[in-house]
Amino acid sequence: MDRSETITETREDTSLDAPWNVIVYDDPVNLMGYVTYVLMKVFGYDENKAAILMMQVHQKGRSIVWNGQREKAEFYVQQLQSHQLKTSLEKAE
Amino acid sequence: MKILPTLEGGLRIDAEDDGDWQLLSGITRDAVSCDEKLSLRLGSFITDIAVVSDWLEYIVPELEETFHGHLAHLAAAISAARFEAAGGPGPLWITPDDAFHWYSALNQARLALEERFGFGPQELIDPAELPSDMRSAFLRSHFYCTIQSLLLDHVMR
Repeated sequence: MDRSETITETREDTSLDAPWNVIVYDDPVNLMGYVTYVLMKVFGYDENKAAILMMQVHQKGRSIVWNGQREKAEFYVQQLQSHQLKTSLEKAE
Repeated sequence: MKILPTLEGGLRIDAEDDGDWQLLSGITRDAVSCDEKLSLRLGSFITDIAVVSDWLEYIVPELEETFHGHLAHLAAAISAARFEAAGGPGPLWITPDDAFHWYSALNQARLALEERFGFGPQELIDPAELPSDMRSAFLRSHFYCTIQSLLLDHVMR
């Protein structure tokens, strides 16, 4: 075999297209009114929707607050963390 | 110390003596009192291997810089007002434009104290039963929370 031969390998990566969840976790510090305020500010949700999601965080310990493209999910998680909410993103099941 | 809403939509903090200035200066000290950085703690639930390394490399330093900027803003405002008042009675103004920096700094302080002492929900705690260093930290956290509530109710809405 010629030593300079190039081997081309093709991999399929669909991770950018698969939907991702943005998750907010409960903590004993962030005020309920503040969590609602941040969800309204970051996602543009109305107060009612933001309050429902905030209550899910408070009562269930976590809530999926957004679902969609990975790049945008990363942006939202960064925004939420810059407001000091404990958050993560994970592939939607 | 008195804290009042202003007609311009902000808050005015009236410090009465050097003890009040020391208490206010403690916000930034408490905010950096935890060994593990807040920017790392906030992302501790991010476990997807496709995300973690980029997150640590790009996002965590950016968050760290943002949080540090908020603390620096607060430290400068308190230091200038304290100097103006010569450590005695004097006002400290929080304008609507300053409000998020203040909220952030106070939150950083409360999150750090929570991480260090593990208070849990405030309403379940009797400060009289806490050891002295923990009681002092709890009361500071409660004071910071009071300012945050005023910011939320009168300035950030």
